[in-house]
This record gives sequence, C-alpha cells and structure tokens, in this order.
Amino acid sequence: MSISLTRKHFLGLAGATLGAAAMAACAGPSTDGAGTALKTLSPDEWSKVKPASSISFMSSHPGKSRDTEVKLIEAFQAANPGIKVNLITGGSNYEEVAQKFQTAQAGSEVPDVVLASDVWWFRYAVSGAILPIDDLLKAVGVSTSDYNPGLIGDYKHSNQQWAVPYARSTPLFYFNKDHFKAAGVPERAPATWEEFAEWAPGIKEANASSSGYQNAYQYPAIAGYAGWTLQNVLWGQGGSWSKEWDITADSEASVAAMQWVQDSIVKHGWAGVSSKNAITDLQAGAVSATISSSADLAATLKAAKEANMRIGVGFLPGGSAASTQVCPTGGSGLVIASKTSPERQLAAAKFVTFMTNAQSTMALSSATGYLPVAEAADISSIVAQTPEFKTVVDQLKVTRTQDFARTFLPGGDQELAKAATKIMNEKADVKSTLTQLKGTLEGIYNKDVKPKLKA
Amino acid sequence: MGRSNTDGASVAASTAPGGMHDRVRTENRDAQSSRVPVDRPPLAGIKRRRWNRRTRKDTWVFVAFAAPNILLILLFTYRPLITNIYYSTLDWTLGSASATAVGIGNYVEFFSSPDASNVLGVTAIFTVTTVGGAMILGLLVALALNQRLKGRTFARAVVFAPYVLSGVGVGLVWLFIFDPTYGVLSWILRGVGQVSPQWVNDPKLALVMVTIVYVWKNLGYCAVVYLAGLQSIPTQLMEAAALDGASNVRRFLSIVVPLLSPTTFFLLITSLLSSLQAFDIIRIMTPSGNGTSTLIFDSYLQAFGSYNRAGYSAAISVVLFVGLLIMTAVQLRFVERKVHYS
Repeated sequence: MSISLTRKHFLGLAGATLGAAAMAACAGPSTDGAGTALKTLSPDEWSKVKPASSISFMSSHPGKSRDTEVKLIEAFQAANPGIKVNLITGGSNYEEVAQKFQTAQAGSEVPDVVLASDVWWFRYAVSGAILPIDDLLKAVGVSTSDYNPGLIGDYKHSNQQWAVPYARSTPLFYFNKDHFKAAGVPERAPATWEEFAEWAPGIKEANASSSGYQNAYQYPAIAGYAGWTLQNVLWGQGGSWSKEWDITADSEASVAAMQWVQDSIVKHGWAGVSSKNAITDLQAGAVSATISSSADLAATLKAAKEANMRIGVGFLPGGSAASTQVCPTGGSGLVIASKTSPERQLAAAKFVTFMTNAQSTMALSSATGYLPVAEAADISSIVAQTPEFKTVVDQLKVTRTQDFARTFLPGGDQELAKAATKIMNEKADVKSTLTQLKGTLEGIYNKDVKPKLKA
Repeated sequence: MGRSNTDGASVAASTAPGGMHDRVRTENRDAQSSRVPVDRPPLAGIKRRRWNRRTRKDTWVFVAFAAPNILLILLFTYRPLITNIYYSTLDWTLGSASATAVGIGNYVEFFSSPDASNVLGVTAIFTVTTVGGAMILGLLVALALNQRLKGRTFARAVVFAPYVLSGVGVGLVWLFIFDPTYGVLSWILRGVGQVSPQWVNDPKLALVMVTIVYVWKNLGYCAVVYLAGLQSIPTQLMEAAALDGASNVRRFLSIVVPLLSPTTFFLLITSLLSSLQAFDIIRIMTPSGNGTSTLIFDSYLQAFGSYNRAGYSAAISVVLFVGLLIMTAVQLRFVERKVHYS
C-alpha cells in the first residue's frame, strides 16, 4: 500500500520539478540574433485604446521627494478616477532603479513608468526596453512644446522622443558665507575658478583654526557622479570628455584642466575630495565651498537655518577659456516601458504628463530644488519662499548639453569616475591617465554603441 | 592484525581507527606487497548481500525522503550553476532579450585585461588577511576567554555579538567611524594633532578599511569555535606536561596547537569560503569598488553596476567557482593529512 502511495507522490513531485525547470528555461536571452522588433501604434489606433486601470511607477524618490510623489499620485488618481498608480521604491539612487528595471526585463512583469537618469534613458532606447512617446503624447493631448525646449530636447534620439523631463537639475556652487567673510573675500560665488584659486588660500587660512576644518573647496565624492560636475572645470578651460562621438578626454585643454584639478588638491592643498557626500561636509563646517546638485537646495538651506549657518549659492564658476555656458544639466526623466500592453502604456502616458505638468513640477521644485520642466510653470511663488531658487532657474539659460562620453556610452560615467579617482586620489600622471581613458571609451563606443547606431 | 611492530603507522591505525589512518594503512599494504590478500572482499560481499536483502519498501522510503532534497538541490544549486556557465559564453547586456555567443571570449578578455591581475590580487590580499587575521586574533581571544576570569561569560557574548549582526548595518556604522570629515576616528586623530587618512578615497586604505571591519565582524566566530576546541583538550595531558617541566609556550606549541588542528582545519575551510564570498560589507562601504574589487564584487559590478555585462560577469563568477573548487580539493587532499584527530 505504502509503495503505490510513495510512488505516486514521487511521480507527482518529479512532474512538478520538470514543469518548474521548463518554466525557468523560458528566461534568459536568445542567441538566434533576431531581437524582438518594437511595435507601436499609430495615433488613430491609440485613440481607440482604453487606459488600463492600474499601473506602476518605479522611482528612487530623487531629492528626498517620496512625500511629494505620493501627493502627486493622489492628485493624479483624483483627476483620473479609473487609474490607480502603485509607487514602487526601486532603490536609493538612479543606478539602483536602473538595475531593477533591467533585471525585470528578463521576467514577464516590468514597471510601467520608470525614473531614468541622463545616463540611462539612451541605453533603454537602444535596447528597446522603452517606447518612443511622440504618438502617445499626442494621444493624451500634450505637446513637446509644453516643456522647456532644452530639457525635453535632451531625450531626442533618431528623431523620436523617448522621455519627458521630470526631476531635472543643474549643479550649483554652494558656499559658507561666514567662512568667506572671515577671509575678507566677497560673499558670492567666484566668477571663474581662477578667481577662486586666488581666494582659496586665504579662506583656508582664515578658518583653519575652527575644529574639524579641512579645505576651502571640496570636490564631490567620486562615486557620486564625478564625471558630471568635472565637465564644468573642463569646459571652462576649453576641454571636454568628448565632442559628440569623438573622445577628447586627452586633448591639451582637457589635460590642462584635469592637471589644474590635481594641483588644487596635491600641489596647492586648498581642495579635497569628499568621501561620501560633499554637501554634508559643507553642512558640517568642514569645508567652505562645494558643488552639488540643485536637488539638494531646499534640504541644505533648511539644515543650514537650523544649524544657524549662512549658506549661499551661485552659478558654477567659469574658466580661462569660457566664462559662461559651463554648466551641465542633469537629473532624470520619466520613460514608459515597452514590454507591457497598449492599455497600460496609454495610462502611463496620462500619468507621466500629469507628473510633469505646470502644477506638479512646481510642487516638486519647491520641495526639492529641481528645475520646473513645464513652460507654463510660474516660479514666482517658489522664489518668494526661497530666493536662492532664482539662481537655479537663471542658470538653466546658460547650460550646455552634456558630453556624449558620459551620457551615451554604457559604463562611460563609471570610467570617468575611475580616471578621476586616479588623478584626484592617487596622484596619477594626468596625461597618461586620460590617454588610457580615451582608449577605454573608444573601445566601449566601437563595441557597444556604433553597431547599434547604424542599425 | 598480525603486523610487525616496527610499522608504527599500522600500530596507530589499529589503536585509533579513522579516515586518515585507513588511508595510511592501505598505502602501507600496497607498499609491502600488492598481492597480499586483504580482508576487504568479504566486507564488500557482506555489503552486497545486505543490499540484495533490502526490501523494495526500504528503497522507496529512501527515495521518498531523499528525493525532495535532491530535487531542490538540483533545481536551485546545480541548475543555476550550469546556466551561469552557459551565460558566461555569451556577450549579453543585462536586460537585453538577445545575446551573441562568444565561446570563451569573456574568459580571454578577463585574463588578458589588466583587470584580472588587479581583481585577483585584491581577492588574494583580502582573503589571506581576513582569514589569517580572524583566525590568529580569534585564537588569542579564545585563549584569553578560556582562563578563569571574572565576567568571562559576558566577554564571550561581547566577542561573538558582531558575528550575528547584519553586515549592512555593520558596514554603515563603520563607514561613519572612518569618515575623514565627521567620523569619530578623525575626531580622535585630530585630538592628537593628526590628519585623518583618506580611508574611502585612497584605494589601498579602502582595502585596509574593509579588511579591518571584516576581521572585526568574524573574529567572534573563530574565537567561539577555538574556545570549544580548547575546552575539549584533556586537562590531564596539560597537567602531565606541566609535571614533566614543559613551559607554557612549550605546552601551547606541542600540545594545544596540534590538538587544535582539526578545529584549525575546519575554520580554515569555512573562513576561506566565506571570505571569498564576502559581499555585504564591501558593497556598503565601497559601493564603486574603488580598490576593493574582489572576484565576487567585480562580478556584481560588471553585471549590476553601470556596465550591464551579464555574460562577462558570469565568466568572472565561474572563475571564482573554479578557484573555490580547486582550493577545497587541495585542502581536502593535502591539508587534512596534517590534521591530528584525537
């Protein structure tokens, strides 16, 4: 009796195992060479689609914006009673969200709307993970001209729109007014790095006696997008990481700029590199100035007020070759996943346009310091509340498109950070480090980007 | 056993049966004469008869008990392992639906790039220092805790506590301690007029930092296992040696260390495996792997960092797997011979 019973169980178990193995075998990539072609609907077809009743939004809540996002989602659900939005925390930064979204591609369920930073959306577009949204925007009655032209223009590739701007920022020059005052230098951001280099020794000397004081200037932590903020120094001296697809990291001007950076740390000793978060170092009174994202503005000013510390902000300093247009934009946009249904994509389009309309973008801007992305946004109320916010908006007019080497090469940002580590922390030879960097970046371009651009 | 008394090994074997001694005995027999019949065949014959006598019921009971475990191991250990080896032959971007087969291309790239020497070097330094550090310090702590001291139980608990803490929590707290700007270590150093080293930014110091934290966390494990080993050493042996006039050092080297060798062997294998798989502390303290890219962390960074090279990452994990396999085999084959079982 027991024999037949156990045998039956055993066979059942074996069957279940085979089933599981067969199911699991569905995952993983195919090697037959034929990628799945992306299908999108025409504007006519979109108008016949009924939006799905539930979608998901994966975010890292940039600039500590979780509460704002929850409120915006509630407002969206009130305006669109048929659609429910699930907010998913995809990690604590853009990279962790990207990791989750890309891993999700191997399964059957992907988030509908995803936060994608400047270095990720292009990769998604090339790999087919996201949808071009031109027709979708039309279907929900939104035009690209409703957005700031520079910010929405960043997401164009092969004449298609791939994202809408959402949590967009520029770096800002943050400084401790009391430290500047103690040194007798003007309480403003320097116009150029040359000017700051003149002030710096005095600033350091005047504040050296206070406990825990380290440097006049703190470079942002390498792990926190060093390649992004260093573009400012490079551009000011006429250098760049790249010009379009041409890698210029080892050009004479680029080498001179990075040499200047190394000298400020090693030779002149008035600058340091943050271990974790430069803006925290500034708030701790350990440094007199730093560069950080405008997303940190609201939180930094609030913390400074509580600590009775006077913090000022200004445009990024220029350099010997260029005094303006030396500031990159950054931050993230919203993309719509391709691996879902038209119903969900239409609901997603309604959601992303709501999250970036004039009213929503104002809510996010005032809570964080991100740029207002909608043209119709009226910033006067935010400026009345936080006068420093005007600097953020004004600087947007003099920004420059980021170097392709950082934004469009997979792992490019990581390579820039590696080179920056060598130059800034290990005192490596600047010229040879940048020459090596160029070789690596060209290798990535030829292997991972060039073939896909032609296709 | 009818053996010559000059054969020391077989005397030991006859008095103390054990895995190693069996092997020694067999080797000695082979050395004496390969044609001398040994008492194995009858044993094997008994086994066979016993097997034949087993009822079908017994067989099915065995299958019913063993099958679920075997199936789970096959499904969740061996299947991913084999799939991973397959992935290592692909040029596959994480998240992409298609991939290109490149054969051993990923391995060729890894071993011909400067990354290989860097990653393998970091792995070797990290493994040797963490295993060596935790075992030596663990033994010293165990020796101290084996004395009759006041508050011994409390001290034992304190020493073991870090081991059961979450690695992520430990990493975060130590990161604050090491922070050169507002960390408590920099505060202490400033107090004596020193500038804090750049623990995070300097790749060499970053490796030192994670090594210190890793040893701190795992020291308790070695200490507790060594303590158990120390307590199993018969006191009469130590007393006899003391009566014979052996010094403390002499007793430690000639009695304690040899009798602890099974413990040391066990700790060596488990610590080596866990050091080579150390991830949480490294990931939390040095998220970009600056100077701390061990094999397992580099494998993670390649796939889930900004490169998204899933195939290349799989190849690195296969390198790690083969390394672990070889090391374990070597340990079982050679190191175990030197171990004394009491």
